[in-house]
Amino acid sequence: MNIHNKKFIRIVFFFLLFILISSCQNKEKINPKAYITNQGDNTVSIVDLKNLKVIKTLEVGIAPLGITLLNKKKLGFIGNVGTDDISVINTNTDQIIKTIKLNTAPLSLTSSPDESKVFVTDWFKNNILIISVEEMKVVNSIKVGVTPSGIAFNAKYNYLIVTNRDANTVEIYDNNNKLIKKLSTGEHPFGVYTKGKYAFTANVYDDTITIINLEKWSTQTIKVGAHPYNIMTHNNLGFVTNTVDDTLSIIDLKTNKELKQIRTGETPENLDLHKDLNLLVVTNWGSDSISIYNLNDLILIKQIKTGAQSRSFGDFILH
Amino acid sequence: MKKFILTLLTLLFSMSVLAHGPTPQKVQESITVKIAPSKAWEIVKDFADFKKIMKIRSFDDEIMKIKYEMLKKDGPFSDYNAYIIVKKGSNDKESVIQWTARFYRTYKLNPPIPEGQDDATAVAAVKKIVGPGLKSLKKTLETK
Repeated sequence: MNIHNKKFIRIVFFFLLFILISSCQNKEKINPKAYITNQGDNTVSIVDLKNLKVIKTLEVGIAPLGITLLNKKKLGFIGNVGTDDISVINTNTDQIIKTIKLNTAPLSLTSSPDESKVFVTDWFKNNILIISVEEMKVVNSIKVGVTPSGIAFNAKYNYLIVTNRDANTVEIYDNNNKLIKKLSTGEHPFGVYTKGKYAFTANVYDDTITIINLEKWSTQTIKVGAHPYNIMTHNNLGFVTNTVDDTLSIIDLKTNKELKQIRTGETPENLDLHKDLNLLVVTNWGSDSISIYNLNDLILIKQIKTGAQSRSFGDFILH
Repeated sequence: MKKFILTLLTLLFSMSVLAHGPTPQKVQESITVKIAPSKAWEIVKDFADFKKIMKIRSFDDEIMKIKYEMLKKDGPFSDYNAYIIVKKGSNDKESVIQWTARFYRTYKLNPPIPEGQDDATAVAAVKKIVGPGLKSLKKTLETK
């Protein structure tokens, strides 16, 4: 056998090895999943979004509420308001790998786009706690206004946005943790969502949402259903959970008008979507379930039973 | 002694759980009544006692559901929202009335929480409304 043949065999061998490895990886590819925090029974229901069923129920701390997922790092952070800590989940194995102790109730969580930091609102002491993902501990904090509720990170401007429920305001912080703007919202702003140059707050007491233009610092308020809790957008539509009406308001973001309301489970609280699978998922606190809709026509595909008092305040779908 | 320490620990643990909010509380109870769901629904809608103490938010004839709100001063709880659903029972002549309430304790600031304004007090107060309320409703439904 001459040297060329040897080389050729070696190339073929590595080529076959490559095919073998990549096919193995395909087999182990994990389906998109939803992580549902069940505040009433201290668990997280993990839902396979391809097969539309609960594949695991994970015990976490007491009264889990807030959540943020790191898609690239395959980590999930769950805030337990009963035990004042955060359960960190490895989303490949769906096991808890770390519990981060706080001395306060973590209400809501979000993460930086580079996944190096997780931000947690400290409900009682009016702070945003900053967790280093690498160090898995709180490394800094920002003093904010009263009752920090919802939190979201705007990737376009690197803004951290937080609602102050009892002050009827929203605060915007820059990359250096400096407050750059404080604006009035409707009454009792809770959930907040941001994308591009806009931020949106759901205002529980006056049944409205506030749309904030982050470029011009202008705001607009729109009437929705009763006691809205959270909001999310997709293309030119906004979706708002109306906790007392058991509906989702569909908002036309071109005209800023409510188009219609569609029925959810009881007391719908939070929502997230998966673009590739075309799914919109809503957590129902009252009926201990999630409602899954087709994102194109907003027709209900399935309602799945989860644990007690399902909430998932934050981004809860792993892509 | 061991038992005493254990009790103390349990107590301390449950107190620390109660010390943290802000978690909405849930009371959900059901009762079976011997009357067809459609008839039960008609009567539930007109339940006089019910209208006196609550502000009705909505009626849904399709899923036989009534939603209502309660004023803040009605008990040691706040932001009370509830719904009653009439469901099918095990046969045509039977219905299940399900009552679900969502509310918070009255004290919403930092711990320590004053006595009588905690989660446990709020839950106990609402249970006193829901339990006897369902029994009274059953009586009304089955005698009409």
